[in-house]
Amino acid sequence: MSEKLHRLVYYSRNRVTENSEELTHAISSILTSSRVNNQRVNVTGALMFNSGCFAQVLEGSRTAIENTFERIQQDHRHGDVSLLAFEPAPTRVFRNWSMGFIGASVKDAALYGVMVQDSGYDPAQMTGDALFERLHRLALEEEGALAFA
Amino acid sequence: MATAVLILDESGGVEYVNASAETLFMPVDPVGCTLPALFASCGATHGGEFFTLADAGAKPTPVRLRLADERLLDCTLRPLSSGGFVLGLDDVTALVRDAELARCDPLTGLPNRSSLRRQLAERLADARRTKQSVAVLYVDLDRFKAVNDSLGHPVGDALLRKVADRFRSALREGDLVARPGGDEFVVIQSGARQPEAAEGLAIRLVDLISRAYAVDGHILHVGASVGIALSPDDGHDPDVLFKNADLALYRAKAEGRSCYRFFEADMNERMQARRTMEIDLRRALAFKELRLEYQPQIDLGTGSIVGFEALIRWQHPVRGRVSPADFVLLAEEIGVIVPIGEWVLRTACKQAAAWETPAKISVNLSPVQFRSGKLVETVVSALAYSGLPACRLELELTEGALIEDGDLVLNALSQLRMLGVHIALDDFGTGYSSLSYLQKFPFDKVKIDQSFIRGLDGHPDMRAIVRAIISLASILGMKTTAEGVETQAELECVRAEGCSEVQGYLTGRPQSAEAAAALLALASPVLASEGMLK
Repeated sequence: MSEKLHRLVYYSRNRVTENSEELTHAISSILTSSRVNNQRVNVTGALMFNSGCFAQVLEGSRTAIENTFERIQQDHRHGDVSLLAFEPAPTRVFRNWSMGFIGASVKDAALYGVMVQDSGYDPAQMTGDALFERLHRLALEEEGALAFA
Repeated sequence: MATAVLILDESGGVEYVNASAETLFMPVDPVGCTLPALFASCGATHGGEFFTLADAGAKPTPVRLRLADERLLDCTLRPLSSGGFVLGLDDVTALVRDAELARCDPLTGLPNRSSLRRQLAERLADARRTKQSVAVLYVDLDRFKAVNDSLGHPVGDALLRKVADRFRSALREGDLVARPGGDEFVVIQSGARQPEAAEGLAIRLVDLISRAYAVDGHILHVGASVGIALSPDDGHDPDVLFKNADLALYRAKAEGRSCYRFFEADMNERMQARRTMEIDLRRALAFKELRLEYQPQIDLGTGSIVGFEALIRWQHPVRGRVSPADFVLLAEEIGVIVPIGEWVLRTACKQAAAWETPAKISVNLSPVQFRSGKLVETVVSALAYSGLPACRLELELTEGALIEDGDLVLNALSQLRMLGVHIALDDFGTGYSSLSYLQKFPFDKVKIDQSFIRGLDGHPDMRAIVRAIISLASILGMKTTAEGVETQAELECVRAEGCSEVQGYLTGRPQSAEAAAALLALASPVLASEGMLK
């Protein structure tokens, strides 16, 4: 049963907010290591981020998801994880591993857009599903909260 | 397997091997090989270079070799009187693995208690030489038992393994984490600037451990409480440091969990004081140091006594009179509240049964008594022995009992209600005061906490709250008692708001059983109907 397809969805507070250079560095290292790790255990999904938060969808076998999530939980670059879902899923929505910038900030979009544009992130995948749309909205709220903090 | 023996010539070439040695080096035939070549063929690490023949006479202790396939060999080389050497090889793989297991907790692979103690002793000795501080962090998981109880041990075990991994990920080079048992972990931190480093680590651990876990399809949450002791200030000895870190942990848990506390000298004294109090409290029943006092409850309609609340008193030969505020919590923690509560119930019922008028007797119940599972049985027995009709017994509980074990408590309350016993909700208005409790069980009475009564006449806002509680209770068919009424003005207020009963110093202090019986025998109203004190 543990090989049945599962999906885990969360968003968390981005703790790498010192400066944009540091965030760029962190994002690219997360992208590289998650590509390698996730491909090995056949976990696909999407990691979205802005200067306030990370939002992530993980799809794969239950064991692989649990191990991947545990590795993510041990990462000090984020905190205050809010889980939106951890449940069996009928099919994969994300066939590959991709990463996208989902901020409203134009400056940040220009900064991070280049880095993630070739990761295959398709914003259209985030629409049409109530859970993903909610995730998207929450992520934007986190970015907004940071701007006023 | 028997010792593998190789006979070497003077230049280190293998001349002869026994059967064990043949098996050991299979498929390589050792005869004719030189020793370094033979070791190289099986991928031995830290082997050959020590093993120069010149050292042979000076090396009586075995050298341990690790082969490529993880086998461990203890090798002893001795010169032969006839020239040449004899090399003995013992496979110690299983021995070493067993010894490692004995030092490790098999579930998490972390060092166990005895190994932890030994390593702390070594580090303390080092630290004393270098005049550095060693920190001991005692960590206890919050809410782990609930996971184990509700989802079973396999899930609990898998969770513990993940928790152990988080510890490993939080530690810096040179830190050590061990699992002495259960849901306890200990971290030793040496070679760091204290107390800053321990504080930083404690903050990281509380954050990291309390992040959600995904285990066997469940999302689990546990927390971590941390107690810290530092050498040399808090002790030089491993056991003293463990004890002091544990005392600090106790404080962290008492102060709300999911936090850390450093050891402070007075913790020891306070714990000692608590321990002697505990011993005294356990003996209080046997030495008959407990007694009950009875505080009148007055019906505001008739001005007469309708009942008494039984209140516990402890007169200790040395401590003197100990306030319930100082011992009831401790009695609950150590569980003696169960026999004490039973004694209160039996004594109060017996006393009330002896009264000339059929006044009610109110008895307080602790949440712990519900958990004991014997409460209903005890009440039945107390009523039967005393001959008191069930309708004259009123049991009071606070909402705290409903928060922790809601279903268990509601079930017991329903059974008690079927016996004919009355049930009152005590101290209403403090704590969470969720209105849902009023809906969950049809209480006979709501007792309005004295914090809303004291000074009521001068505070319109308090009066509004009291009015709302009384009107809500009345709609739900519940009586109300105003607790802690001390002045005539407060009395007039609660009467005007339609409260059913009052209890407080104004209308009668807690008094001895004899005084209460005498008061009841007077059979005249305590309050005149116009609200004056007689």
